[in-house]
Amino acid sequence: MKKRKMYMRMITASLLRRRSRMIVALLAIAIGATILSGLVTIYYDVPRQMGAQFRSYGANMLFTAVNDTFSQEDVDNAVAVIPESQRVGVAPYRYETVRMNDRPVLAAATDMEGAKSASPFWRVNGDWPSADGQLMIGKSVASLYKLNPGDKIEVTYTPVIETENSSSDEEALEENADEEFILDNYIDFEVVGILDTGGNEEEYIYMTLNDMEKLTGKANYYNVCELSVSATADELSVYADKISEGVEGINARLVKRVTQSETTVLSKLQSLVLLVTVVVLALTMICVATTMTAVVAERRKEIGLRKALGASDKSIIGEFMGEGLLLGFAGGFLGAFLGFLFAQGVSVSVFNSSISFRPLLLPVTIIVSVVVTGVACLIPIRSATDVDPALVLKGE
Amino acid sequence: MFLRMILRAFLRQWKKMAMIAFTIALGSSLATAMLCVMMDVGDKVNQELKTYGANIKVVPKDASIINELYDTDGENMSGAYLREDELGKIKTIFWAFNIVDYAPFISTNASLNGGDEVTVTGTWFNHHMELPTGETLDAGVVSMRSWWEIIAGDWIDEQNGDDRDVAMVGKALAEANGIKVGDTIDLKGSSGEKSLLVSAIFDAGGDEDDQVYVYLDTAQVLAALDGKVDSIEVSALTTPDNELAEKAAADPSSLSIAQKETWLCTAYVSAICYQIQEVITDSVASAVRQVADSEGEILNKTQLLMMLITVLSLVGAALGICNLVTASVMERAQEIGLMKAIGAQNPSITGLVLTEILLTAIIGGIAGFFAGIGFAQIIGHSVFASAISVRPMVIPIVAVLVFIVTLIGCIPAIKMLLGLRPTEVLHGR
Amino acid sequence: MSLLELKNVSKIYGNLHALDNVSLTVEKGEWVAIMGPSGSGKSTMMNIIGCMDKASEGEVLLDGVDISKESSKSLTNIRRDKIGLIFQQFHLVSYLTALENVMLAQYYHSIPDEKEALEALEKVGLADRAKHFPSQLSGGEQQRVCVARALINYPEIILADEPTGNLDEANEEIVVELFRKLHEDGTTLIVVTHDPEVAEVAQRTLVLRNGKLDHETVNKNFTGHIKYNL
Repeated sequence: MKKRKMYMRMITASLLRRRSRMIVALLAIAIGATILSGLVTIYYDVPRQMGAQFRSYGANMLFTAVNDTFSQEDVDNAVAVIPESQRVGVAPYRYETVRMNDRPVLAAATDMEGAKSASPFWRVNGDWPSADGQLMIGKSVASLYKLNPGDKIEVTYTPVIETENSSSDEEALEENADEEFILDNYIDFEVVGILDTGGNEEEYIYMTLNDMEKLTGKANYYNVCELSVSATADELSVYADKISEGVEGINARLVKRVTQSETTVLSKLQSLVLLVTVVVLALTMICVATTMTAVVAERRKEIGLRKALGASDKSIIGEFMGEGLLLGFAGGFLGAFLGFLFAQGVSVSVFNSSISFRPLLLPVTIIVSVVVTGVACLIPIRSATDVDPALVLKGE
Repeated sequence: MFLRMILRAFLRQWKKMAMIAFTIALGSSLATAMLCVMMDVGDKVNQELKTYGANIKVVPKDASIINELYDTDGENMSGAYLREDELGKIKTIFWAFNIVDYAPFISTNASLNGGDEVTVTGTWFNHHMELPTGETLDAGVVSMRSWWEIIAGDWIDEQNGDDRDVAMVGKALAEANGIKVGDTIDLKGSSGEKSLLVSAIFDAGGDEDDQVYVYLDTAQVLAALDGKVDSIEVSALTTPDNELAEKAAADPSSLSIAQKETWLCTAYVSAICYQIQEVITDSVASAVRQVADSEGEILNKTQLLMMLITVLSLVGAALGICNLVTASVMERAQEIGLMKAIGAQNPSITGLVLTEILLTAIIGGIAGFFAGIGFAQIIGHSVFASAISVRPMVIPIVAVLVFIVTLIGCIPAIKMLLGLRPTEVLHGR
Repeated sequence: MSLLELKNVSKIYGNLHALDNVSLTVEKGEWVAIMGPSGSGKSTMMNIIGCMDKASEGEVLLDGVDISKESSKSLTNIRRDKIGLIFQQFHLVSYLTALENVMLAQYYHSIPDEKEALEALEKVGLADRAKHFPSQLSGGEQQRVCVARALINYPEIILADEPTGNLDEANEEIVVELFRKLHEDGTTLIVVTHDPEVAEVAQRTLVLRNGKLDHETVNKNFTGHIKYNL
């Protein structure tokens, strides 16, 4: 029989036949490894997941026109610069001054789905316009006109004479309306929702792009485009520069208030999770180490016996470490998966999204577990081998 | 005799006992630190989220719409204003403690250096207030516009600057007119004229880049609106909205008395708005959804995240303690066998082991509690640059946790010890 | 040359002279018993002979080599190669079978050989219990496993410390019978005991008192076959 075979036989015998103790040790290591792999996974995932949460602050990038307006094609070209996975919402807006009950109101037309995802904080009492002929009005407009969801309202638009200064102040509008040969366009809308944002948005009315086209007779142009992009401030400014340079007619800029604040808060959150991870890990690892030390310290007598039988310190350390390292490996392996399950659970319950397994974390967890276990075992083994076997065998 | 045995056990096995105490201390410090951080993380993150600016905006009743509709470029046409002398009252409402910052604004138009009309906004920069409660508060746009980038010069400092004839100019406006820090600009409003020293050029990334920011009274002089303000922005620490809050926000009178009491006594943004409206004459306070709602969202997520991490560490600490207690009690098989051999009854053995371990646990737990507070403070100071407040709740939770966990840790070991036959133990294995 | 020779050996712990100027010789193939009351220095002597402790003064010659000056590392090697130990407390590894416990000694000595280990167990009459764990064996059986473990590497000396201290009469007889057999095979035996019955069966008995060699008796009734290797 080979020496190595006996070595393996001893280690497996120790692991399998001293089951209760080994389970205690394995459990300790697995807990440590679970916490390690779970927290590290969360730590790496927090910026991404939390970043997505911060998108609830709405648009962080704005496209403005270089010459008054830009087209859908310009938007498409510009948006193409941003990787699809990072795009949260794209809402191009077109603004016109229209009239309701002969009073001027600012009207915005947009892609409702885009607006919904770009401005998740908008609260709509009622529904978003989903078909032509439906209108969403700001809260201020609603109180001014005493409108409720379900009410009907006629919106009229007076085509502007080309030669006229495009900025239509009050007098100009009235003048235009008086001239009989210009026919007003009008649409009968049904109010489907009232928008509550606490901001300027409450003073607008919102219609679909189609209705706006019908009302004005002009298609395919926008004044502004709001974008919500899930990216860091640095990435965003790179995109913005690329778009401003590469896409003609569009000037991209960041919404400083959102990007700047997000960077501040997110970095705090990440350092919070980092510190918590470090503290928890340090404490847990020491905890694992003390447990392993206790488990090995129990075997002082056995170590003494082996020494009396003529085992060198080296071979004793080899055997006990072999056992410890095997445990460390098994515990680390187990913990890596349990930790992933934990992180997955956290991700699903907190952020409603799953996370991908980080293959690198498996070897890292195992290595850390093995090292911690090894160090933890080495201390009591060393102290046991340093003592004369006669003393150890005598008892206390 | 019992006490003597316990004393002996401590003295003779102090190394082992120290290790148990150490591990329990580790576990309890972990639990303490995580609980402290978890319970305080809401307030801390809330504080951080204040960088997004105000979550409540107060405007004169029925006046809000006119400005935008008539595209009047900052000139208040409605004739409705809030009163400057009432500003202090905001810090007297029930939720005054939650109001961390606020600033009044008044906008007017003035011609710049005899040329184009520009919007001039008067506000507080870092206005110092002595509150009736004895507290002091520095409020204003320095903290409420934290995202502004000062390209040149410095923020206007209300507390150290004697010269009130100063202005901050937006980046776009400065570029268009070649204004630099140190220049003097002349502003001619509808009823007054001022020469101001430019103290800073700022980049706000928004409409403010085309405006001039000045002291409140400067703008009031330009527009002859003494003692009046257009709007007030308020930054308040709030509790994320729930159904009750939404119902209340829609119509406070729809609540039952009990509901209304809960609503008013919780820092919902709508409750704070309601109270502000009551102290500021003819005002409408509304939540800035972009800030208020997002705050709620992020707060909830962060708290949930920290809670789950806390649970994981608590479970880890608990299992760790359990494990070590089991391991170290099992180690004493021989001693227990001897005690049995000389006639010790099972209950007395159990009592001895439990007392020993629990005494150790108390020592370790107390040491760990204080260490844990230390860890929490390290986290607090290095992440949020402020101390983490320790809720009294943490003490009973940690105490009960350590107690139960230690007891549970003893169960398998004691079960094993009681099953021992003394002969087996004493005569080798 | 004698197999083992102690020359004026002393072991001093502080003021206590556990062994005080003791000299003795043991020839190859001899069966010697060491007796004495508790605290007489038996265990100290046994530890020094068993290379588990070092003498404070004097020389210990094992096979002509002075082991009192060796490092603890080479002491371990000498112990492994030349000495088989039997303890009062048996000291078997609880999670290894009887066979594996015997093989453990082979493992540290040279190469484990299952067949040879089984033969050793057969010699002590435990071939059928080879796969049992120590906890499944009686005290006598456990001590017999220890004997098998001690002799497996053909040591120069088998050193037994109170081998019968934890055994009943019947098992004591079995173990003594085993010693007799070992002696017949030519093994050198040193048995530390305070049981006169166990001491009686040896060739000669050394009695220690207060760390000094008190007296020596040669057993007239010695029945074992004596081989003198001159």
